[in-house]
Formats: sequence, structure tokens, C-alpha cells
Amino acid sequence: MAATAGTLSAKQPIEKQDSQLMVVARRFMRHKLAVISLVLILLIFIASLLAPVITTFPRDAVDISAPTRPGPPGIAGSDGRIHILGIDNLGRDLFTRMLYAARVSLSIAFSVVILSETLGVIIGAVAGYYKGWVDTIISRVIEFMLTIPLLPILLILSAIMINTDAKLPLPGFIIKALSAVLLAPEREANQVFVLVMIIVVFGWLGAARLMRGMVLSLSEQDFVESLKALGASDARIILRHLIPNGIAPILVNASLSLGGVIILEASLSFLGLGVQDPTPTWGNMLNGSQSYMFQHPWLPLVPGIPLVIVALGFNFIGDGLRDALDPRLKR
Amino acid sequence: MTNYLIRRVIQMIFVIFLSAAATFVLFNIAPGGPLAGLQQQQQQLSREDIARIRAQFELDLYLPVRFSRWLIGVPSGPIVVGGQELFANIPVGCYLPREEQVTNRDGEIVTRPTGCDDYVYLAEIPELHPAIRSSRGILRGDFGLSTVIRPGRPVLDELLSRLNATLELLVTATLLSLLIGVPIGIYSAVRQYSRFDYFFTTLAFIGSSMPVFFFALLLILLFSVIPVFLQDTIPWIPRIPSGLREAMRDYSIAEWLPRVEAGSLWDRLLHLFMPLLVLTFFNMAGWSRFVRTSMLEVLRQDYVRTARAKGLRENLVIYKHTLRNALIPFVTILVLTIPGIFSGAIITETVFAWPGMGRLYFDALSRSDWPIALAFIFITAVLTVFALLLGDILYTVVDPRIKYK
Repeated sequence: MAATAGTLSAKQPIEKQDSQLMVVARRFMRHKLAVISLVLILLIFIASLLAPVITTFPRDAVDISAPTRPGPPGIAGSDGRIHILGIDNLGRDLFTRMLYAARVSLSIAFSVVILSETLGVIIGAVAGYYKGWVDTIISRVIEFMLTIPLLPILLILSAIMINTDAKLPLPGFIIKALSAVLLAPEREANQVFVLVMIIVVFGWLGAARLMRGMVLSLSEQDFVESLKALGASDARIILRHLIPNGIAPILVNASLSLGGVIILEASLSFLGLGVQDPTPTWGNMLNGSQSYMFQHPWLPLVPGIPLVIVALGFNFIGDGLRDALDPRLKR
Repeated sequence: MTNYLIRRVIQMIFVIFLSAAATFVLFNIAPGGPLAGLQQQQQQLSREDIARIRAQFELDLYLPVRFSRWLIGVPSGPIVVGGQELFANIPVGCYLPREEQVTNRDGEIVTRPTGCDDYVYLAEIPELHPAIRSSRGILRGDFGLSTVIRPGRPVLDELLSRLNATLELLVTATLLSLLIGVPIGIYSAVRQYSRFDYFFTTLAFIGSSMPVFFFALLLILLFSVIPVFLQDTIPWIPRIPSGLREAMRDYSIAEWLPRVEAGSLWDRLLHLFMPLLVLTFFNMAGWSRFVRTSMLEVLRQDYVRTARAKGLRENLVIYKHTLRNALIPFVTILVLTIPGIFSGAIITETVFAWPGMGRLYFDALSRSDWPIALAFIFITAVLTVFALLLGDILYTVVDPRIKYK
């Protein structure tokens, strides 16, 4: 009896070890604003996914004979159906367009971030691993591209794309998939994807710089030496060992740049050089509301409030992730 | 240091050349441009008409020739050495391209250039592109003529006519944000985790994740739209003009205030108010945060502790020992405001219809006035590169520890 008690008490200090993920999740939950943001963004995300179920209005259905155009929230259309957030100058239901816009804006943000972080991680890892002239060239290119003012250049690219209505030879399956996600015709998906690629051209720089730094310091460590001694290939060392070890700051960066891309896309669309009407995005809805806001002040708020919530939210989540993933804060 | 400077200047020239070439090619390979509207009327126009119009925009010349003429103004004709014309028979362009209707793989009929019926030779340049009409080269200060926004007017005039408005807005905004942002950053760092610090850190956070244009629209709602709706209930509330730089005719902002004369100082200030507020808010948010971070870093240094241990007054520790060192990295940000002050604020100027550089650039892009857009990009690139060099030089001045080899 005493012996068992002894073994028990000896075992007690060895608690069940939490997995890394649990620790991170628990620390993330401590950041209240980040959790609130996550919930709000998830709500908007789900609402945008369920858009065709939540709202019964078609996205582009115009109501020419509505009593007033634009109309205030709660206005009844010419067929007597209530528009809960009102209608725009063509009599299109604003709530519906806002939901579909969330679909477009979030799709753009996620595609841009996934593509550019992947690209950046690979380029950065290659630069950091091979050093020498590979690193010199990549670093110079990154430095050069970072000095270019972003907005003017993006405006040039999208102005040219839009003016020419360029039909780039894009892979058909991507366009088909995108048009299925956006519930939009392929021509619109094509345009959205062109914008995604334009933003990606300048989007990979941050991730590449981060990854390069991480890999530079990681590849000095002994485990890389022993991997080489074991005969692991360069690709294996980079893909299986270096990148997974340096992924934490990339996650933070990805979350912060989600907010950045949302704003960038909205800015381009707001200026009329991004996604074009009738494809709704929060940016071009704001653009459309500009000339009517003096008589109808709620118009810019309909797309503006979700835009700000999502942009701020991704930044808060990034903040929370940084706190959660930064080992220096571990207690 | 001299060697370093020489190397840097050579690098700079290379970078400027590269970016100029890249933007020039980008604009020129893109369809559209000055001939965009011509496509529809192509049926009514004869081949010669089109060739003449193309020649007017120098589109008959080959791309490298066009670029060289845009940059340095040569070739402007055959090279004359001792009364002898050299290279006069070298083709530099194609006046009448031979075109053929071809069916492409998708079954669409497209027109494709297959050759040239009438070449432009070097000797013909003075006659086809007389010096009065064409640019003497951007490096000699001639930016060519605008094509759409003010057809036929020199780009330089158009740029200069916008410079005042941009300088007025951007210089004021930069000074204001410095005057407000830097002290806030210092105070936040000195009183870290105080209520003041939390307030301004949150504000800076909002500033970094709020879209500029939505903030601008909110200000318009707050200061010009809502007052109109409230005028019946709260008659004293003033409304502020939301666009342009000055009004066309006199107006009143509230009944109890005197009427504002168009073009007066008051009018100017009222129009400046909102764009200035937007720019100051965003600059201030970023800069105060930057100063705070670098102050906190310096405050942790050993020599600051030593200074305190010696019994120096706290003011002396903060302003003489900490602040001076904390502001060193700020130099980089400060020099980069130079190209920013020239190029204006694209979004803010567009929202508030402010007649500045940023808006001109935006208009030039959306209406395909390539010469204006090119000139804008070129000047901005030159200024950026010079600002970065200036920053590096200033760095050695404010921080003697740094030496360039």
C-alpha cells in the first residue's frame, strides 16, 4: 500500500504533456481582441459561403422601378420584397452584394497570400541555404523591389490590364475553379485572377526576407550538418527540415498580410482599377457609393464596415499569433 | 567614402536606367494608349491616315529608338561628320506596316503585322518628327507632350501646374505629423504601458489597418454630410467643404458664421482641413510607433542606465542621451518623404478631388495619357534613389560609428 502510494506520488509531477498546438492555442486565447476578431471573421466567412442560401436576391438583379434609387435600409422593392440594407443606384440589393463581395474579397486575399507566401518561402529558403551569388542576386532584387512605391506600380499594371481587357493564357482549370468559388461567370473569374497575380508580383518580398533570415541562422545549426552527413538531398533538407522549422514567423506574416491585401485590393477597386462592376467587391461598392453618399449617407457604411472589421481583424489575429508563437514570451 | 559614393552613384544610374526602361517598355507593349479609340473607327480610316496618326505619336519608330529619343532625344537625324551624313540609310522604324488577316488557333480572325511596306530611315527623322513636336529627351528636362488630358500641351507644364497644390498639402501634413507624431512616440516610450501609451498604440494600430479611402469617406460623412441632415435639429453645426482646393463661389458653412469668400485664406484652410487630417493621421500613426519602438530599444541600453546611475536629471537622460540615438533610424523614413512630397497622395487626393500630383498620375493612368504617367514615374524614381543615397550619407553624419568602404 505504501509502495503504491510512493509510486503514485513519484508519477504525479509528470503531468500529461500538452502538444505544441495546444500550448499555442491556449496562449492565443489569452489575446481577447484576436479571439473576437477570429470569431467575427469566421462569421463573415461563413455568411459569404452561404450567400445564396442567406439571401434570395440574385447578385446583379436590378430593380428599375423601385420607389427610390438608391433606397434606405428596409425599403420595399417594386415587387414588395424588403431589402434589409437598402438598394444601390441601380436598385440592386445591397445586403446581397455585400455578401458576394465578401466572397470575392476574401478569395482574392487568401489566394494572394497563399501564392505569395509559398513563393516567398521557397525563394527565401533557397537564398538562405545556398548563400553566395544566389543569395546576392535574390537579395538585390528584393531590395530593389522594396524601394519601388507599391501603389503607383500596381496601378500601372492594373490600368494596362483593364484598358486592354487582356486575355492572358491562364490555365483553364484555375479559372473554372475560381468561377465556381465566386459563383461568377468565367470572364469575371479571369479578371479576378489577373488582379491576384498582379498583387502576388510584389507580395512575396516580405515572406522571402523573413525565410531567408530564418534559414541563414538555421543552416548554421548542427542538425543540418548531420543531415548532410546522412546524405540527405538539398531539396529534402530545405523542404522537410528548414522550412518547417522557420514557419512560425511566416504564419504571423501571412495573417498580417491578409489584412494588407484586403486593403490593397479594396484600394485598387475603389480607384476603379481593380475588380470591375458588376463583380462586387467592397472596394468598388465604396467607389459606387461615393457619388450618392451626400443624399444617402448609409451607402458607404454597408461595404465599409465589414471591410474595416476584416482588415483590423486579420491584424489583431496576426498580433495574437505573434504572442502565441513567440517562444520568448513562454512562461 | 569617396569610393563608396562613386560606386553608389554608378549603381543609382543603373537602377534609374533600368526602371525607366522597364516602365517605358511596359507602357509601350501594352495595347491601348493614344490609339485605343482608333480601333473602332479603323473601318472608315484609310491605311495612310492610320500611318499618319501613328507617326504623330512616334509609334512608327522601333521601340529601342523610341526609348532613346524619349530618354536623351537622339537620334534626331543622321549623324553629320564633316558635311557627310552617316548611317542615313539605316531603317529605324516602319511607317506602313504590312498587315494580313490570319485565322488563329481559336478560329478568330486577327490582323497580324507580317512585314513592312515603307521603312522610316534615319535621314527621314527630321522631316517626319520635327524637333518642335518631339521630345528633346527626359534627361534634358523635356518630358514630351500630353496626349489625352491636355492634348499637345507640354507634360512639364502640366506637372508644374499641379506641384503647388501637392506641396501645400504634403508639406503641411509632413510637418504636422512630425510635430505631433515624434513627441507622442517619445512620451509613449517614456511612459510605457501607461494609459497614454495604450491609447496611442491602439490608435497607431487602427491607423495601420484602416483603409485610407474609407477613413476619408468617414470624415466626409462626419463633417459634410451629417451636418446637412442635422441642420434642422442642431442649427449651429458647421459643415466643411469636402472636395477641391478652393470654392468657385462664396458659401456659408453655418448660419451664425460669416460667409466664406471663394479663394480667401479661410476658404483654402477649410478645403485643406479634411485631406490634411487624413494624411496627418496615417503618417502620425506610423511615425509615433516607429519612434516609440526605437526609443524603447535605446532606453534598455547600458549607457542609459549609467547616465541615470550618475544621477543625471531624467530630462537630460531622455532628451540628450536617449532621443538623439533613437532618432538615428528615423532618418531613413524622413528622407523617403522627399519623393512622397513630390508624388503626392494618390488615394487622398482622388477622394477629395485635390488637384495635385497624385490625382494627375491617377487620371493619366485611367485615361491612358502615357507621357504624363511616364514622366511622373521617372521623376519619382530619381527622387527615391537620391533620397536613399541622402539617407545613407546623413546616417554617417548623425552616427559616426558607421563607415562606408
